Amino acid sequence: MYDTASRLEGQVSATDIKIAARDVQVFYGDNHAIKDVSVDIQDKTVTAFIGPSGCGKSTFLRCLNRMNDTIDIARIEGEILIDGEDIYDKRVDPVQLRAKVGMVFQKPNPFPKSIFDNVAYGPKIHGLSKTRADLDDIVERALRRAALWDEVKDRLTAPGTGLSGGQQQRLCIARAVATEPEVLLMDEPCSALDPIATGQVEELIDELRQDYSVVIVTHSMQQAARVSQKTAFFHLGSLVEYDTTDKIFTNPQDSRTESYITGRIG
Amino acid sequence: MTDLSAGAASGQTPRSLTQTDARTKKRNAAEKRFRAYGMAAIAAGMFFLVVLLGSIVTNGVTAFQQTFLQVPVYLDPEKLDKTGNRDPEEMKKVSTFGYKPLVEDAVFAAVQAAGIETAFEDAGDMDALFSASAAAQLRDRVLANPDLVGETVTFKILASSRVDGYLKDRVTRDSVARDKNIDAAHLDLVDGMRDASLVTKSFNWDFITGSDASESRPEQAGMGVAMLGSFYMMLVVLGLALPIGVAASIYLEEFAPKNRFTDLIEVNISNLAAVPSIVFGILGLAVFIQFVELPQSAPIVGGLVLTLMTLPTIIIATRASLQSVPPSIRDAALGVGASKMQSVFHHVLPLAMPGILTGTIIGLAQALGETAPLLLIGMVGYIATNYPDNIASGFFDPNSAMPAQIYEWAKRADPAYYERAWGGIIILLVFLFAMNAIAIILRRRFERRW
Repeated sequence: MYDTASRLEGQVSATDIKIAARDVQVFYGDNHAIKDVSVDIQDKTVTAFIGPSGCGKSTFLRCLNRMNDTIDIARIEGEILIDGEDIYDKRVDPVQLRAKVGMVFQKPNPFPKSIFDNVAYGPKIHGLSKTRADLDDIVERALRRAALWDEVKDRLTAPGTGLSGGQQQRLCIARAVATEPEVLLMDEPCSALDPIATGQVEELIDELRQDYSVVIVTHSMQQAARVSQKTAFFHLGSLVEYDTTDKIFTNPQDSRTESYITGRIG
Repeated sequence: MTDLSAGAASGQTPRSLTQTDARTKKRNAAEKRFRAYGMAAIAAGMFFLVVLLGSIVTNGVTAFQQTFLQVPVYLDPEKLDKTGNRDPEEMKKVSTFGYKPLVEDAVFAAVQAAGIETAFEDAGDMDALFSASAAAQLRDRVLANPDLVGETVTFKILASSRVDGYLKDRVTRDSVARDKNIDAAHLDLVDGMRDASLVTKSFNWDFITGSDASESRPEQAGMGVAMLGSFYMMLVVLGLALPIGVAASIYLEEFAPKNRFTDLIEVNISNLAAVPSIVFGILGLAVFIQFVELPQSAPIVGGLVLTLMTLPTIIIATRASLQSVPPSIRDAALGVGASKMQSVFHHVLPLAMPGILTGTIIGLAQALGETAPLLLIGMVGYIATNYPDNIASGFFDPNSAMPAQIYEWAKRADPAYYERAWGGIIILLVFLFAMNAIAIILRRRFERRW
């Protein structure tokens, strides 16, 4: 089960730090949702956040592209650096940030538009293409990256909402990679998918690792073990343990981590 | 309770599923009763609807039929154009008084030519048969085409409201007994003329396109001008209420922080939707007419007042449809780096469009049928000029509106106006049905699944 992770482990140390979070606190009104989380996320690596429901892993993920800004009562302290720049700096425009840090959501949420328009939307609003041919190229490349091109190339004008669940989620991944992000955040991307679609998306995540820093939140420990090289275990808003996936699953240092992965808590 | 469950658990006798126990019977009976209540309620509703529509149609449909006298009229050059050079400017000097004897003579001659027995021996007795507006109609026709003078033209003369009522069974010999405008002998004459096809009923276009008429000429009154007034008002409402309402809802729903102040605004908008319309009328009177000094009876003022009334409806409908757009769509747009505004205008608004349009049209339909505020701001202008002359042509000219016109007619003493009021209601309802149909079509067309 842990084959993939251990096989890839050697490459992890060679990569550098993409995201550095220091003493991050998140409050929802009076609720202290994230406590003192510090973590270094490496480039060209899949990092998995695991933990029981309500432990704050999705909340923390949403801090990384400032999606929490849309929630009025959310307040964030501490600093999160991407490529050494504080993303909560006043000068940072969250819109630019989100072009650099793409996101895939729990439920496939394609726009109720054509497949082409779904993928082309990001490049269009960011002005990535000069001509229609450019845009066609970008869309094709993104769909190929998301391993969806062969399935949809004949029906690019069909609505994206008409695809199957797994295809929709890969369409969302294509939409996210079309804007050429450097980091890809995935919030339980397979929780609404069947095992076959899950397998396809996991394969895809492994390929995306070559170009992006991928951060994935997952409820499935098997999934974390299959796709990630590094794993962070969250519990009650704190980061309990963060290490290579292999180590977390075979030799956890903290007793809470051990309890969780062996199924005693959570 | 413990006994019961212990007994059931021990299961002395296994319960049969084919026999319904008392409790189940009671529940089933209650359910059946409830369904019966529901069906009774719907049946009652349908019954009232049928009665309502039935009475409107039976009372109003006659307004769309009008009685005309079809007689050849000799346009005597001696009387209409003494100089003989057919100059319209000179011919205008002959007023309707000059034309009236021509009509009387023509009707009398036609009666005699048809050999109808009558006690009347004077052409002057004929004027109870045709409308007071007949002379004006004839004059308009002659002035429009001066070459007709000297010829005998078959002319459709508007019958008087009494004759019209007689053919529609509204006026009877009993009812004319004390009527000084017409007497039973005239009705006998009408019977004869009907047999000779001199009196016919035909579709009344003038009722749809014409203008209001004086109290004594109900046969001439029409809805056209009031329709125009309503049309101008609806333009104002659409032009103001839709953008303001949609902008306000988008801001409140998507951008505004959720705090006490926005809560207060929200509550007040809901309350405004329930404010009686006459309050908006008096507000419009105080603000738009007395303070801003806009002209009275003008569609612009009516439109502004109705805009105030319609805004809460549009805002509530728009907010509801914005709320019904799944938040995942907003997340998706923000996630690929769209700005808040882009996410709203590219994704949320198109999905909310069917709801917004439906709400707007329902609001407009409400405004179209609103009467009380119009009475307060004087949108009951008496416009009796037919187009194209000097008709209430714009937003600032005095005008009337459909519901106000209906109200005016219903107030008038002549029973002929009662029929017009019902007819007006039919026209108003046709507009409302059409608007609701458009709302349904738009909703179907724009509806998309996600």
